[in-house]
Amino acid sequence: MVQEVNKSPKQSREGSPWKGLGAVIAKEMADHLTSARMRILEILIILTAAGTSYAALQKLVGSGSQNEFLYLELFTTAREPLPAFVGFLAFLVPLVAISLVFDAINGEFNQRTLSRVLSQPIYRDALLLGKFLGAFATLALVLTAIWLLVFGVGLIGLGVPPTGQEVARILLFLLVTVIYGGFWTALGLWFSTRFRQPATAALGSIAVWLFFTAFWEILVSLFAQGLRPIQYGLLEEVLARAKLEMFLSRISPNTLFVESTIALLKPAVRSLGLVLPFDLQGAILGAPLPVSQSLLMIWPHITGLLAVTIMIFALAYVSFQRQEIRV
Amino acid sequence: MKRIISMLMIIFSAVFLFAAVPQQAFARGNDLSGSGIQLSTTYPSQFVELGESVTIKIDVGSTSGDRILQLGLADIPDGWTASFRGGGKLVKSVYVAEGSSETVSLRLDPPQDPLSGEYTFVVLAEDGEARAELPITLSVQEKVPAALEFSIDLPTIKGSPKSTFRYSARLENTGDEEVMVNLTADAPVGFLTKFKLSGQEVTSFQLGPNQTKTINIELDPITELPAGTYSCKVYATGGDMQASLDLTAEVTGQQDLKISGVDGRLSSKATAGKENALTVLVTNKGTASALGVDLSSSAPAGWTVSFDPQEITEIPAGDQVEVNVKLTPPDKTVAGDYMVTIRSKSAEGASESADFRITVATSTLWGIAGIALIAVAVGVVVVAVTRFGRR
Repeated sequence: MVQEVNKSPKQSREGSPWKGLGAVIAKEMADHLTSARMRILEILIILTAAGTSYAALQKLVGSGSQNEFLYLELFTTAREPLPAFVGFLAFLVPLVAISLVFDAINGEFNQRTLSRVLSQPIYRDALLLGKFLGAFATLALVLTAIWLLVFGVGLIGLGVPPTGQEVARILLFLLVTVIYGGFWTALGLWFSTRFRQPATAALGSIAVWLFFTAFWEILVSLFAQGLRPIQYGLLEEVLARAKLEMFLSRISPNTLFVESTIALLKPAVRSLGLVLPFDLQGAILGAPLPVSQSLLMIWPHITGLLAVTIMIFALAYVSFQRQEIRV
Repeated sequence: MKRIISMLMIIFSAVFLFAAVPQQAFARGNDLSGSGIQLSTTYPSQFVELGESVTIKIDVGSTSGDRILQLGLADIPDGWTASFRGGGKLVKSVYVAEGSSETVSLRLDPPQDPLSGEYTFVVLAEDGEARAELPITLSVQEKVPAALEFSIDLPTIKGSPKSTFRYSARLENTGDEEVMVNLTADAPVGFLTKFKLSGQEVTSFQLGPNQTKTINIELDPITELPAGTYSCKVYATGGDMQASLDLTAEVTGQQDLKISGVDGRLSSKATAGKENALTVLVTNKGTASALGVDLSSSAPAGWTVSFDPQEITEIPAGDQVEVNVKLTPPDKTVAGDYMVTIRSKSAEGASESADFRITVATSTLWGIAGIALIAVAVGVVVVAVTRFGRR
C-alpha cells in the first residue's frame, strides 16, 4: 500500500480530505467534555480563576486605584501568595492542552481502534486535524468559560462596566491565550503520534513545558554570559548581551505569551524590547496606547506562535502519515 | 482860648492813656471828669473773624460814691449792633457801689455783610454827673478758606494694554480747616480706577489744614484696549471745594501671539518613519501687528520638523496665519504619545509656544511580515499534505 501510494499518489487520492472532519471533531469534543480527566482540569481551572480574581478584587476594591483600565488590572493584579490570573494561565494552559491530547493518537492505537476508525470513509488527514481541532475547541471553550467567569466576577465586584477599549483588550487576551493553548495542543499531538506509549508522550510534552517554564531562563542567561561577555563594561556590550538574552528568551512560547499579555493588559506599555532613555525623550509616559498599536507590538509574538503551531502540526501530520497503523 | 487849651489837654490825656494801654495788663477807661467811674477790660484790642460775634467782659467800678451808670456806646461803626448783658439779661444800666466793680458783657454783632478792617468802638458809662469811656478795637480778619490743590509730576504714563498705569499725585489743603476729601474719577471706558493712600484703597479721607498727602492713582485696563491716548480726570471734592487733575494713559499697541491647532486641537497623529502633516494656526490676538514671526520647534531627538512658511512676514492684529508643519518621527520610534513644542517668535521678541501631543503609530509593515511567516507555515503543511495526503 505504501509503495503503491508512492508510485502513483494521484490515483489513491480521491474525494475531499475534509470528509468526516466534523464528525471527528464532534466525537472528540464529546469525549473530552465528558471525561473524568476534564472534570479535574475544570475544577482546577475554575478554582484558579475564582481564587485569583477574588484576590485581585480584594486588592483593587478600596485601593482607590486611579487606573482607567480597572478591568485589566483584574487579570494582572496579584495578591500574595497567589500569582496573578495571567501568571496562572501561563503554566496551566500548557498542562490542560497536554492532558487533552497526550494520548490522542497512540491511545487509539493501543486500544486498536485506529484501524477501525480509518476503515470508515475518513482520511487520516481528517482524523488528525479533527483530533487537533477537537482538543483545541475544547480548550477554547474552557478558556472562554473561565474568561467569562472572571469578567462576571469583575462586573459584580467592581461595579463599573468595562470600556470598549478594555473589552477589546480582554477579547484579544482571550484570543492570545487560546493560540498559546493551540501551540501546546499541537506539541502534545505530535508527541502522541511520535511515541507509541501515552505515558512517554505525556512525559515528553511535560518535559518540554518544564524546560521552557523553569530552565529556559537560566539557560538563556548562561548563553548570554558565554556568548556576549562583558569585558570592559561598555554600553555596547551590555546592550548586545541584553539583545541576545531577549532574542533567546523569545524562543520560549511562555515568554511570547507573557509578553503578549503584558502588552495587552497594560496599555501604558510602549515597547517590549529594549528602550533606551534616548528613545523616550519627549515621550509622555503613562499614556495608554491604542489597542491597534498594542496589537501591532505583539503581532510578531502572535504570528510566531501561530506559525510554530502550524509547523508542529505539520510535523505531527508527516509523522502520522508515515506510520504503519495496522498492527 | 481856655476852651482850646482844655480841649488840647483832653486830647493829650487821651493820647497818653491810649499810649499807656499796651504797657498795662489791662486797659482802664479814662476818667473824663475825674468822676471816679472806672471802665476796664482785659483785652481791649482783639482779632475776630469775619462775621463772628464778639463778647467782651467789661468791669465797671466806682471810686467815689455809689452810682447807677447808664451804659452805651459813644462810637459804633456802621451796621454793628451792641448789647450789654449782665446776670443773663440784657441790661442798659449797672449799679456799682463805691470801691467795688461789676462785670457786664458787651456783645458786638457784625453787620449782615461784614468787611474786614479795623473797627473802633467806644464804650460809655455815665450818670448825671460823670462819664467814662473805654475804646475797644476789633480787627476783623477774613479767615483763610480751605482750598484743595492737586499736583502731579508725571501726568502721562505709557504702557501696554495689559499694564496698570500708576500715578503718584499730591493733594494739598492750603486752607486753615480740616476737610473731608472725596476722590472721584472720570475714567474712560475700559479702565478701573483705584485710589490708594499708604497702600490702602480709599475713596475719602480727612485732610488737615496745610497738610499734603500723596495719593497713588491706579488705572487698570479691564479689557484689551486698542492703542491710543486715554485721558482721565480725577476730582478731589471737599465741602464746596474741588480740585481736579488731568491724567493721560498712553496705551501702546502690543502683539500677542497664540499658537493652536485647527479647532483648538493640540493633538495629532503621526506614523513613525513617515512625513506627517499638521496644521498650526498662529494668531495675533494683540493690538499691534507682529512682524517677522519665526517658527521653531523642540521635538524628541531624531525627529525632523519643518514649517511652511518658516517665517511669516506680518500678522496684523486680530489675524491668524495657517502654517503647515511636517513632522517626521524616526523609523524606530516607540509607539505612544510624544510632546512636541512649537514656538513662534516675532522680531520684537514676543514669544509664544504650544505643546502638541503627537500620538505616534508604528508602521504596519512588520505585521505583513508576520502574516508571511504564517503563510510559509501553511505552505509547509500544504506541501506535507500533497506529499503524504489522504491515506
